Order: sequence, then C-alpha cells, then structure tokens
Amino acid sequence: MIRNPGKEALVAYLLIAPFVAVYALIFIYPTVQMFLLSFTDAGLIGGGDFVGLDNYERLPRDRRFDTAFWNTAYFVLLTVIPGTVVALGISLGVTRLSGRLQALVLALFFLPYILPVSVVYRLWDWTLNFQFGIAMHLFDFFGMDRVPIFKVTAWFMPAVAFVTVWWTCGFSVLLFLAGLRAIPREIYEAASLDNATRWTTFRKVTWPLLWPVTSLVLTIQLIVQLKIFDQVYLFSTGGRPNDNLVMVYYIFQRAFQSDQGGRAAAVAVVLFIMVIIVSVLNFQLMRLSGGRNR
Amino acid sequence: MFNYSSFAKTALVATALMTTSVQAQETVVWWDFLGGGDGVRMKQMISDFNAAHEGEITIDATTLEWGVPFYSKVQTSAAVGEAPDIMTYHASRIPLAVDQGILQEITADDWATMGLSEDDYADATWNAVTIDGKQYAVPLDTHPIVLYYNKDVLAEAGLLNDDGTPKGIDSREGFTATLQALKDAGSVKFPLGSVTADGNFMFRTIYSLMGQQDGELMTDGEFLAGDNKEKLQNALGVLAEWTNEGLQSTYTDYPATVALFTSGEAAMMINGVWEVPTMTDLHEQGKLFEWGAVELPVIFDHASTYADSHAFAIPANKGKEMTPEKRAAVLEVMSWISKNSLFWATAGHIPAYGPVTASDEYKAMEPNATYSSLTENMIFDPKTPLAGVAGPIFDVMSTYFVPTLNGEMEPSEAVEEIQYELNDMQ
Repeated sequence: MIRNPGKEALVAYLLIAPFVAVYALIFIYPTVQMFLLSFTDAGLIGGGDFVGLDNYERLPRDRRFDTAFWNTAYFVLLTVIPGTVVALGISLGVTRLSGRLQALVLALFFLPYILPVSVVYRLWDWTLNFQFGIAMHLFDFFGMDRVPIFKVTAWFMPAVAFVTVWWTCGFSVLLFLAGLRAIPREIYEAASLDNATRWTTFRKVTWPLLWPVTSLVLTIQLIVQLKIFDQVYLFSTGGRPNDNLVMVYYIFQRAFQSDQGGRAAAVAVVLFIMVIIVSVLNFQLMRLSGGRNR
Repeated sequence: MFNYSSFAKTALVATALMTTSVQAQETVVWWDFLGGGDGVRMKQMISDFNAAHEGEITIDATTLEWGVPFYSKVQTSAAVGEAPDIMTYHASRIPLAVDQGILQEITADDWATMGLSEDDYADATWNAVTIDGKQYAVPLDTHPIVLYYNKDVLAEAGLLNDDGTPKGIDSREGFTATLQALKDAGSVKFPLGSVTADGNFMFRTIYSLMGQQDGELMTDGEFLAGDNKEKLQNALGVLAEWTNEGLQSTYTDYPATVALFTSGEAAMMINGVWEVPTMTDLHEQGKLFEWGAVELPVIFDHASTYADSHAFAIPANKGKEMTPEKRAAVLEVMSWISKNSLFWATAGHIPAYGPVTASDEYKAMEPNATYSSLTENMIFDPKTPLAGVAGPIFDVMSTYFVPTLNGEMEPSEAVEEIQYELNDMQ
C-alpha cells in the first residue's frame, strides 16, 4: 500500500481534534483567563478594573501569603521523601511474601487509599480529638498530658503530613511493587552466586533498576503535595485556619471567603509557576542522577 | 331526565376552572442552609405552607451546605441567572451581597403586599437588613447565644436562685465565683463547656462581651479604633482567666462542647439557641438532666448579646426578569412563614415577627420565653462586606482567639495582631 503522508496527517489531526478542543476549552482558556484576572480587582463574580501589578506587589508583604508559602514548602518536605521511603520499605517487605498472604497484606496497606478524604478526616478526628479522641485515653493511661494535635501550630503540619502519608502511600506501594517485579530474577541469582550481601544487592541491583519508578513516584508526590488542600482545610475547620494556610487554601480563602478574585488569581499564578519550576527542576535532577546509575 | 347541554356547560366551566388554576399555580424554588434540627422544623413549615396553598403555590425546597459552600453557590448562580426564587440569608452577609448586586430590594410596596412593616420588628433586627435606607431581606428570626446550665448540678452545689436561674450572672466576680464553686464541688469535669478550639464560634461570645462595654469592631471604616482595642482585650482577658483558673474546657471543638454539656461533664455552656431542640429532644427521651437557658451573664457594664438573623431574600438573577406572578408568590411565602413562625420558635430561634413573640402561646414556651428578653440587648455584626458568618472577619479573629483562649498567647498580643490583620484586609 502506498502511504499518503498528507492524508495520514489529516487523519491524525482529526483524531486528536476532540482532545485538543476539550483541552483548549477547559484548560487553556481558563488558564489564560486566570492570568488576565490576576491583573484586575475583580471579586468572586463579575469582572473588575485593571490594576496592573498591584495584586502581585502586595504578595511579598502579605503575611498570609508568607504563611501559605512556607507551610506548603514545609508540607512538601514532610511528605514527599518520607512518603516515598515508607512506600519503598513497605513494598520491599510485601514483595518477600507470597500468595494469599501477600495479597492480604497488600490489600491492608492499600485500603486507606480508597477512602474519601472526608472519611480520613473523621477517622483521625475520632482518634486524636482533644476531648474525646481514643488516643487521648492512651495519653491519660501513661500519665502524659493530652496534646491538642490539630489545634496547635507546631503539631498541625507534621500530623497532617503523617495522615497524608498513611492515606496515600498505598498507591506508591503499588507502583514500587510493579517496578520490583519487573527486575529479572536472574540478576538476583547472579548476585547471590557472587556472595553479595543483602545491602549490596539492594544498593547495586534493586535501587538502580528501580530508579525510574522511584523518580516517577517522587515526581507524582511532589506535584500532588504542592497542591495540598483537602486535608488541611478539613483538619483546620474550626481551628486556626490562618496559621495553617497552604497555597491552594489561601487561593480558596481569597476567592470564596474574602470575595477577592483578582488577588486569588495572582496567588494561583504564583503557584502555577512554582509547580512548573519545581517539576522541571525535579525532572532534570532525576534525569541526571538516573544517567549516572545506568 | 338527563340534560345534555347543561352537563356540557358544567363540564366546560369545570375544565376552564381547572385550566386557570393550573396556570395560576406557581412553583417557588427555595434554597436554604438549614441542615440541623431547625431544618426538620423548616421542612414541616414548608409542607404546611404547601398544604395551605394547594393549587396556588408550591415550594420546591433544597437544603444546601451551611457557610462558605452555600454563599459561594448563591453568588455564582445569581451571576449567571440560575439562582432560586427565594433563599434564606444571614443578615450579617447582606452588606457583601448588596455590594455584589445579587439581592433584590424589598420595596415599600412589597412590605405593604405582605402585610408586614417596620413596627413588627425589633429595631436592631430591622436595621440589620437595611442598607442605605433600603431593605434587602425579610427577617425570619434572630438567633443569639445563651447560657445553658445543668439545673441538677447547680442545685446540688446550691447555686440556683429561687426562680431556677443560676446565681452570679449579674457580674464578673459573681459569675467567676459560681464557676469556682462548681470547680470546688468537683461533681463535673468542667464548670463551663466552651468552644475554645473554634475561634469562629467564639467570635459570638467575645463580640457580646465587647458589646457589654459598648465596644465596636468597626467605626468609620477603621477596625478597633480608640479604646475599642482595650475593650477587646478586656473581653479576651476574662476568657483567658477562666482558662488559666481551669474553669472552662480547653481546645474543645463545637460538637465536643455540646457533648460535654449533654453528658453532664460540663455544668454550663455558652451556645446558640439552635441547640434548644437538641436539649428538648434528649430531655423528652429521658436522656437529659433538668436544664435551663438564660441570657448571657453580664460580665461588664450592661447586658448585651451578639445575634444574627435568618432572613428571606430574593436573588437578583442576572439577565432574568422575575414575572409579577412569581414575585407575588414569593412575597406570599415570606409573609405566610413570618406570620406562622411560632412553630419556628421550637427550633430555639426567636421569631423576628413581633406579634408572634408577643402572643400568649410564645410566652408559655420554655426556655424561649426566659431568654427572649435579650432581644432588647442584641448587637449585630458591623456593616461591612468583610463581616458575616464564615466571612473574613470571622476568620482573622478565629486564628488569634484559639491560642489566646488556651493560654498560648497573651490577650494584648492577640489584639495587636487582630487589628493589624483586619485593617490589612481592606
């Protein structure tokens, strides 16, 4: 058959057209609008007047933006690498099991992941509520002072990070398991013939061969955790929301509570740029470090 | 003998009547945020209304999530012409809504049509729905906070007056002494159950205490000007003192506070009147001690209680004119429900429509009748688009109330921070 490149290209365009149309309508167009909105003093509804860079100039001296920025960074620090390490540890353990036991243990670790965030919030509130939480009875039993975990700033982010890792690591475990299974058995056999210790096998075989998966998990985690909102919102309801702000929460607060769509859009643009920069940096870093191991 | 022509005529007339009645039938789309015990009572009132207006008006009601979700939806739907015909609204949120142009004015003609007037409402309530001399909502109720108390525990400690009210609610020293006596008696875990983990809620108590000193949050567009700062600090100081002396529960969120009180672990509780149905129902089931509710204690110069008002508002749907028939139906809904709001009082709220609270039936309702005297001492939110339930002022203050009420921060420091942030919002 004679290939007709012109026709092929046409078919290709036709096939991707629906996607491009939808993508343009529900992603590109709103994004452009968001950029435009960030230069106005619009409220939640309707347009606003052009105010130039005002919304951006306010940000450096805006204390709540400061809180939101550093809390987000802190949260990323507390979840991305720890979450990945925990998931790797669990999957290394699970992979040693076999048959039904493995399926059972895997299911147990994966279970939290299928819960909606509201249920996760309820579970942990029941556990750690200052007056009625079951964990508080443990504190009492050991004669320790009760700690109002979600009401004190020092405890808030670490606690939410812990809950998040508990909640979401099941998915990373699955990715790691798939990666571990893709490593050929023969390599481990060869390693054991060479009398390699477990640590050496991990360092020289598992870790480098698993690196593509690890970098994938890290990238996904990084992007997801930069956009953290639900847990922080739920756990700080009725607490001290302005101390626990993260970027998306701050956007929500400005737009929906303070009726300042323009200022919210400016923060959203900053977050957008942050995610892009971090993702690109992360990708380059992964590529470089991955190249060394190969 | 069968007269065919007269039968045909009757049938024709009957058909014609039916058609007109079908045409005249108006469906009023209704949104509210009443999800608790009061929501159940409102549903009852709606079905009563529908029964009384069969063939004329039907209310098609939907209950949405209270707070930010409700108000976000209302704002955005009005902007695209998809808002309901009538909705419940907090009086405190009206300044922002008027600013955004999402509410229709309730004109003098409308009030006349409804058969309601300014004289039927308390001044503070009428004022709360008025912006620049125009009304934007019909007040249904006022819902202040009150002091709930466990009669059994207080009686045992000898802290009840002859009329069954708690001792010492007329002064700061008196009330602190009552709390201290309850602590010394040791029969409860906390003398006062207080929503110390929720600054949003505590706004109501603290603003009341400011009102007791004639303090104002906002004067001439400036927050906490002059000695208002000191008055806020005084208010915080009292609550911080109760915490330091171990007289109130710390880091307690809203549901936990109600649970502390109803389980008998806290002898008293400051909470909204909307918890009255909770107590009434539990008491009826024999699961609650003898209880009562009174106006907030006078801690400073005179009685004063923060209140908000549930009101009915007509959204201004953008690009969609409301037909006169529909508007008439909506006015009838607001009028009928206002005039029949005695039942609403069983939800704890104080009906805004004066003739209802003046009625003998209302005066026989307890504890409603005991605390309804506070309508004379009510203060509402400052009139600014930043005010209102779940609004930015609530939010800013909340953040500093929680550390202050739990002994993490000095009241003076909190006041400085609050002033800075409030003024920064404008």
